[in-house]
Amino acid sequence: MSIQFTFRPRVPIFDANVRVGDLHYQPSPCRNREQLLAEMDRHGVEKALIYHAQTEEVSPIDGNGFLEEWLEDDRLFPQWSVTPTPDSMAQIEALHEQGRVHNVRLHNARAVGLPFRPWACGPMLSWLSENRIPLWIPLPDADADELAMTLSAFPDLVTVLVGAHYTHALWVRPLMTTLPNAYLELSRIEPLGEVEALCAEYGAERFVYGSWYDRLAMGTMLFYLHHTDLSEAELELICAGNLLRILQGEGRHD
Amino acid sequence: MIEEQRVIDFHGHTGRLDLYNGVDDPALILRAMDRVGIDVSCVFNIFHPDGTTGNDITARFVKDHPDRFVGFAYVSPMMAEGMVAELTRAVDELGLVAIKLYPPYTQWDLNEPIWHPIYEFADDRGLAIIFHTGTDAHSHPGLLADCAAKFPNANFVSGHAGNVAEPRAAAIRAAQDYPNIYLETCSTFRTPGVIEQLVNEAGADRVLFGSDIALMDSRPQLGKIITADISDEAKRLVCGGNAARLLGI
Repeated sequence: MSIQFTFRPRVPIFDANVRVGDLHYQPSPCRNREQLLAEMDRHGVEKALIYHAQTEEVSPIDGNGFLEEWLEDDRLFPQWSVTPTPDSMAQIEALHEQGRVHNVRLHNARAVGLPFRPWACGPMLSWLSENRIPLWIPLPDADADELAMTLSAFPDLVTVLVGAHYTHALWVRPLMTTLPNAYLELSRIEPLGEVEALCAEYGAERFVYGSWYDRLAMGTMLFYLHHTDLSEAELELICAGNLLRILQGEGRHD
Repeated sequence: MIEEQRVIDFHGHTGRLDLYNGVDDPALILRAMDRVGIDVSCVFNIFHPDGTTGNDITARFVKDHPDRFVGFAYVSPMMAEGMVAELTRAVDELGLVAIKLYPPYTQWDLNEPIWHPIYEFADDRGLAIIFHTGTDAHSHPGLLADCAAKFPNANFVSGHAGNVAEPRAAAIRAAQDYPNIYLETCSTFRTPGVIEQLVNEAGADRVLFGSDIALMDSRPQLGKIITADISDEAKRLVCGGNAARLLGI
């Protein structure tokens, strides 16, 4: 394959991990929806699942409200954030009654000492599982033991493990083996040859492409995924097919 | 090769780092390089303060694929008495062509006098030195300006270009002030706009593509350059033109 200084993806792209809006300590390079769509166009990205930056460390409830102005019917789809508090659950349940909840992202409260354990998160996880709503879990905020023990108690819940870094390299395989309904999002999978190795071991149907823009530059992992030993069919699954299946409530593998 | 441009990765490691699944398997490294048109990767070993142990590992690694890898020498002021002798051996006997330094593994800021014998060696021979640079005090890239002024015939490369915003800005200022300071691109932060910032503020002729292979795969790190909003001519310089000039290869 001839390599060029310009790159366009060969398959449809549905980005599973895009952050919008300003962090309290860092403005976003995209100031509005139009600028985000222009950046997606520059990289050949058709659709994206978006969450608001304010949900990360400030407020999942207010951040979900700020997300509304970024949504766009055909290309930008909501990822609401949730945490196991009555106010947060009430907001998500209300959105669900409107038919607007097809996935959620964990706002992790471990920073203030609330662990990801059944006694703390059980009602939330039960509700998500009963309603077949997949849960995105950022690994930089997580504890491997809590993930394995707690999610094993909710075997029907589909999860997407987000942002595994090389510092999580020893977590990934045990978690993927222990949690058959977990997917791995690939925005930070950089160990040498790891994309090919993981797909060979677990199957391409267990992985989704995410850029984690604007935390990370948008095009880099797309370029990587298009220059691996994966087949075109595997590439299509990772870049859009698996995510579509997850959002339709058909993400379970067991 | 990308559009007839030879591609050179300026930042790579030999040796295993199992905690992070870093495996210096030449077959895996070459597969990643071949997939994206990387012709040559520069490699060094930073795990042995004597220099000798790691440099021998690097030389053996290069010897198996001399057309694909170029070796850099490593020494540490933690064993300062042997630094110059080891550099002489590594360059003259092992054929290593530049120097890698890792200040976080030492007790000294990179501009302190204990490092100067290394810089004098590089200055005498017109060699490049790539440093790990980042947020820690020993590795702050702003300190490179002091070295570049004292040793104008050596070339000083800010590895990771400081990694995050404040040290990156200091690295750019240093490159603006001194013609013998370069900025290397590898970083897992992959912050949007960084490649554009380096090229626009320091100049495309001062930026070097690097990947941190085998700790990381070279493909996403090259993808940062390819998908950046810079000209094709800038990409040619960053991907290999500058490195070829700097290393004389």
